[in-house]
Amino acid sequence: MANYLSLEFARSGPMLLAEARGKGRWATAERVLKTMKPEQVVDEVKNAGLRGRGGAWFPAGIKWSFMPKEPKGPSYLVINADEGEPGTFKDRQIMEKDPHLLLEGIAIACFAMRAETCFVYVRGEYLSSLVALETAIAECEQAGLLGDDALGTGRRVRVLAHRGAGAYICGEETALLNSLEGRRGEPRAKPPFPAVYGAFGRPTTVNNVETIANVPFILERGVPWFRSMGTQGAPGNILYGVSGAVENPGIYEGPLGMSARDVIEKFAGGVKAGKKMRAFIPGGASTGFLPPGKLDVVMDPDALKKEGTMLGTGGIVVIPEEVELLDALRVLSRFFRHETCGQCAPCREGAAWSDQIVGRFQRGEGSGDDFALLNDIMRGSKQRTICVFPEAFAGPLGSALVHFKGDFERNIGPASPVAPQGATSRG
Amino acid sequence: MSGASARPGQPGEDATPPEPLLRELEALAARYPTRRGGLLLMLHRLQEWRGWIAPADMRRCGTLTGISAAEVFSVVSFYTMFRTRPGARFPIGICRNIACFVQGSEHVTRALSEKLGCEPGGMTADGRFSLQEVECLGSCGSGPCLEIDSRYFENVDAGKAGRIVDALARSDGDATDAIEHAAKAAR
Ligand SMILES: Cc1cc2nc3c(=O)[nH]c(=O)nc-3n(C[C@H](O)[C@H](O)[C@H](O)COP(=O)(O)O)c2cc1C
Ligand code: SF4
Ligand code: FES
Repeated sequence: MANYLSLEFARSGPMLLAEARGKGRWATAERVLKTMKPEQVVDEVKNAGLRGRGGAWFPAGIKWSFMPKEPKGPSYLVINADEGEPGTFKDRQIMEKDPHLLLEGIAIACFAMRAETCFVYVRGEYLSSLVALETAIAECEQAGLLGDDALGTGRRVRVLAHRGAGAYICGEETALLNSLEGRRGEPRAKPPFPAVYGAFGRPTTVNNVETIANVPFILERGVPWFRSMGTQGAPGNILYGVSGAVENPGIYEGPLGMSARDVIEKFAGGVKAGKKMRAFIPGGASTGFLPPGKLDVVMDPDALKKEGTMLGTGGIVVIPEEVELLDALRVLSRFFRHETCGQCAPCREGAAWSDQIVGRFQRGEGSGDDFALLNDIMRGSKQRTICVFPEAFAGPLGSALVHFKGDFERNIGPASPVAPQGATSRG
Repeated sequence: MSGASARPGQPGEDATPPEPLLRELEALAARYPTRRGGLLLMLHRLQEWRGWIAPADMRRCGTLTGISAAEVFSVVSFYTMFRTRPGARFPIGICRNIACFVQGSEHVTRALSEKLGCEPGGMTADGRFSLQEVECLGSCGSGPCLEIDSRYFENVDAGKAGRIVDALARSDGDATDAIEHAAKAAR
């Protein structure tokens, strides 16, 4: 099936407006804004079955339909370009190579949701993405595609690029909204949900970059075309990331529902230097580890849920045999310990404790009692917390305990008398 | 880390931002539905100018956004990119997360640490380099990856890391230009 998202990814810098228009960018937005009604656009996206590519896979059209139809004051679209999930590097490609694709999607989405302003929250380190985006926005304002009279329709569509400042938790959508407002990036208790009380207290929809990049194509080519790719429950193509120990790491576009094996072998050339695989991560750090015996799992959100994991961002990481599983797990447990925002005790303490316990096993100093402690932490992670971050750190830990229990058992040493110490949260 | 001076050519702790920067800060505050929305971008701009965020900068941001300096500080301290004391001229951040780890980032860190004579988390005696392990930079497909002031260096091994440091050790001019230059040279 033909690719559509990644056609410009081989270039070295961003495609500028003149060339982008030659490739058809902005033609669909113009037609949509001039000839369609907002509800029709929402219906198209709903019927296409487009699901959010940020990790939660929530249906985009349904999310859009929560926005007020007769707004009394501003509504906002916020693009999540915080891309911080380890193993994920796809949104950057869209912004750095094809920024007008994202902007065209934004114009259509703003129209559909009756939002006049879109904020693009770009992670602080992505300076190249920010510059490419700001250049593209300026080009569009100059050409009258964005601004007070966007595409000559008399409608206002403003896009503002915002820059984060380093904090994984800001990818969580309500933390992102706080950060956008100039606050600490701490998640908000829900309800109220963003569609009611979002950015600056106004109705807001947060969507991932890749989600919005699909929108112009759906409106251009139609629902049957979109549904002809991917799976019944999750149509369309996805930008698979493959990194770690593979021959050809990179971003590869393919339909949802490919097997992890095909993505790793057909796209990325298989495990590096013909080595053996110890484990693979199916969709970013929080989706945990699967053994090579699970390589035929289907890259589909519902199928991976049945395997006890998640599709996440579709960023596959291959762990070679020479890397011990406990060492790989420790890298992630340290990451989650560092990145919890610290507001909720089960999360703050659970992330810190599990990191220390994994560290003990890593040093060959685990104890039989530690399994009970880890199970306690896993249970604690299902308690009520402000956001779902505990699910993220429970992913690697829980999957390791299920699929690689032997690695723990081999590393039980003389009982360690020292109890784990509490968390160090952000300052 | 303490006792370092500002980067050569960069304003000292008591310097006041120049007029164009002050206008830019005001424009950032006015750009958002609330003035506070501009805070992160204002802090970035001040840090680019001074090399770090001084107490006076936090007071200024507080005045511009209508919040207390203490509240500005609570925001600054949340984000890893903001420095509240002068940093090195070339702050090297090396990714230690999973994809880079699998591709040998620890060897690169060790090689850099030996070459610079400073541990991860530390700074060289002359204040030219600091070395910090950071989390995933979103360059997992071209790891190991390192970053200097948000400029990325990809597919780095010990040899390439050494060449980057050599190029930066020789440079006297503007830090940003030197980093761009080293990025091109190392490619
Ligand atoms: C801890 C955490 C980190 C997240 N990081 C990101 C991220 O970097 N990028 C992203 O698009 N979504 C991220 N999300 C998901 C967002 O909360 C949200 O679901 C998403 O941006 C919605 O967009 P979508 O519906 O288009 O996927 C994260 C969620 C959690 C809990
Ligand atoms: S669950 Fe964790 S990350 Fe989420 S708000 Fe609570 S402490 Fe912060
Ligand atoms: S793991 Fe190093 S850049 Fe993602």
